Amino acid sequence: MNSVASQNPLLYRLVVSHYLISALCFVSLAVMLLITARNLTGHYFHPQLLAITHMAALGWGTLVIFGAVYQLLPVILDTELYSYRTAWLSLLLFSAGLVLLVYSFWHFEPGIYMQSGSLLLLAGISLFAANVFLTAKQNRDDIHQEFIITACIWLLATALLGTLLVFNFRYAFFQKDHILFLKLHAHMGLAGWFLMLITGVSSRLMPMFLVSKQQKLGFLSWSFYLINGGLLLFLIDTYFSGLNAKTYIAALVSFAGIACWLMFIAGCFRTRMRRKIDLSIWHSLVSFFLLGTAIVTLPFIVFNHLKADPLSVKYTLLYGSLLFMGWITSLILGQTFKTLPFIVWLKHYQHLAGNSDIPLPAGIFKGKLLSIQFGLYLIFILVFYAGMFYRSATLINAGLGCFLAVSLVYLSNVLIVIFHRPDKKYYEQS
Amino acid sequence: MSNLKNSDQDEHSRVGVIEVLGMIIDPELGINIIDMGLLYFAEIDKQEKSIGIELTLSSHGCPMGAAILGGAEDILKLYFPGYRIDVKLVWEPAWSPDFISEEGRQFLE
Repeated sequence: MNSVASQNPLLYRLVVSHYLISALCFVSLAVMLLITARNLTGHYFHPQLLAITHMAALGWGTLVIFGAVYQLLPVILDTELYSYRTAWLSLLLFSAGLVLLVYSFWHFEPGIYMQSGSLLLLAGISLFAANVFLTAKQNRDDIHQEFIITACIWLLATALLGTLLVFNFRYAFFQKDHILFLKLHAHMGLAGWFLMLITGVSSRLMPMFLVSKQQKLGFLSWSFYLINGGLLLFLIDTYFSGLNAKTYIAALVSFAGIACWLMFIAGCFRTRMRRKIDLSIWHSLVSFFLLGTAIVTLPFIVFNHLKADPLSVKYTLLYGSLLFMGWITSLILGQTFKTLPFIVWLKHYQHLAGNSDIPLPAGIFKGKLLSIQFGLYLIFILVFYAGMFYRSATLINAGLGCFLAVSLVYLSNVLIVIFHRPDKKYYEQS
Repeated sequence: MSNLKNSDQDEHSRVGVIEVLGMIIDPELGINIIDMGLLYFAEIDKQEKSIGIELTLSSHGCPMGAAILGGAEDILKLYFPGYRIDVKLVWEPAWSPDFISEEGRQFLE
């Protein structure tokens, strides 16, 4: 009949498991933040903050992205996932590594648990990347594919350096300052992995969701080269010279890349036929705004660092929280309900399309819960950042209370989607 | 955009191929595939008892591609029992939002 493959039944469990574990990590992250709220106004190189950062980056952000990539890659490339067994093994190793790493960071035990945790994570990430490379191997030239593959290469590099950093705690083989490598590790992950991946996937999905008339792919090519160029410049220069005046240039090049991506997205919005913007898209818009805010803090970090002013530490915390709890979190909070319901819908209703009054994917989750989640998230942003600005423990705690509530509402809605069962009448029709 | 010919006037006068296909909804947008402009060609041959249609998708890698194409085949089988159904996926010309009908545009707004 056609060359479009149906959803492989093996894919459903794999993707859903990633979303579920990630949602549980999100709740854990919120609880950990609440416990350690007092540390949020201190130095970022703090055991509990390291644990929180890795829970956010790996458990929350990366796992949900793994799930989304497994879901989207076969569709985007019109092919089958190379290996489901490898994907499951990757998840197993990754999850075990995450638990060990976060536990050992929290209690700061840089021994066997931290080391084996980092090695398990590296193994899980390597298997994920290998699966992506082999899935994409025989496929057509596609800019979104380039973004995803490059992001995977950066993720591997981030994990490798992270593992070396863990072993460096015990054996101190790095010739330079540990914090210097931490900066390189963090930016490989943030700009190389998250930004590359999000840029590639969002530029594929946004025009589809918005029904955009125009897609200026030239902006995407510029974005790809500028972000990677800026990142490489930053890594090389910072490795040899530390943060210095040239860091502004590297940052500027990366910002230009981000600006190109945002101009692509803005073009999609301007020429969209779907005028009504749903809450998932609003979450994405808030996410882009928070990314912009994080970028604004970067020159202040460099400026204060060069003056040896401790304000640079405060700005670094602000920068990190805006990226993880702002940009990445808001994007996932919205896009989950654009992607997860589809895989559930395909499982239950694909064979019934057109046969009856089946619900649409948007009818599988609770819209009211999504509204509550969005409202709570906005309150969290306002209250938490007011607390950070005024160094008010009360406001920070209140904000983190909202963040916990957001995570619980999100988890509830994810569970509603995962445990969705069609009405009996649909079974009778099938 | 559709090049529709030989819609059934006699035996299936009440339920034409296009009307039937109009029951297939794009799950993301909530618009039927006719208003989306996804149907490029349709023909029915009563003597041969066959229906042939050509559909496109809004993009390569549309996550709902299989559901739309499978749904089109299933619904035609349901409303035209005994007919041979041939659903062909075509990419030329590439779909554009300009193909969305006036009703579809109003729905999106």
